[in-house]
Amino acid sequence: MFEPFTDIVPSFFGWLNQGPLTLTIFLHSFIVLPMFWIYKQEKARLENEK
Amino acid sequence: MANKSVWSDNRFWQRSAAWVTGFAAILLIWLTFDTSGQISMGSDADLKNGVTKRVPGPTVINYKITYEMDTKRGHEVPVIGAKEKFFGRDDYSEKEAGDLLHLGKLGSQAKNCMDCHTLLGNGAYYAPDLTKAWLDPAWESTGSMQAMTGKNTKEEAMAEFLQFPSKYPTHARMMPNLGITAAEAKGLVAFLKHMSSIDTNGFPRNFGKIQGALNGK
Repeated sequence: MFEPFTDIVPSFFGWLNQGPLTLTIFLHSFIVLPMFWIYKQEKARLENEK
Repeated sequence: MANKSVWSDNRFWQRSAAWVTGFAAILLIWLTFDTSGQISMGSDADLKNGVTKRVPGPTVINYKITYEMDTKRGHEVPVIGAKEKFFGRDDYSEKEAGDLLHLGKLGSQAKNCMDCHTLLGNGAYYAPDLTKAWLDPAWESTGSMQAMTGKNTKEEAMAEFLQFPSKYPTHARMMPNLGITAAEAKGLVAFLKHMSSIDTNGFPRNFGKIQGALNGK
């Protein structure tokens, strides 16, 4: 599962890009997950307004 | 107000949009600096000390470059080997080699190679991709192109072809005579040799697989 790093120049993005879709999945999670948090905050705010 | 949905609430979409835009902006700025690090050219000292750089220093023209399959990465990578004579010399200084590459780069722009060829992913596919042209076995001592030009080395054969392309027709589309001088041809060949040493993550993807080419079936 964990393979040695094979990129020629080490980089954070290179480290994330060692398997199929790994960089894509990481970046999309990083964008989408905080939106759940925003959703919950807004939901709580709307409920308080009532 | 009756049970308002978060999905129809403006503030949720505003905050989401601000987050996505802000994150993407920071990511793109970070990637820009990360890329500059990746594509910065190495030096003569790096070559001598065996430090691998994605883009080696200009003095890479003093060394033999081969294209070898890397099973871990799943594609061929350029491997810089022992010293090799380039137009009779293997002691080009960083300045001389840099000037030669500069001349070749300006020449490739002046003659607009990209009108027909592709260099590092930029250009056209009317004529062969030149990214790894230096590694094409057709230019080796046993290759058809070197045999046709009657020269004894790869660099001399390529320089001869570049100066008088219409004298050496192939079965592919014929290259027009662009009035390339001997000095320009030398620079262009140095430019191509250096370009072939750049680690392009296996681009062009099918280079090693085409018939008659390196590692070809």
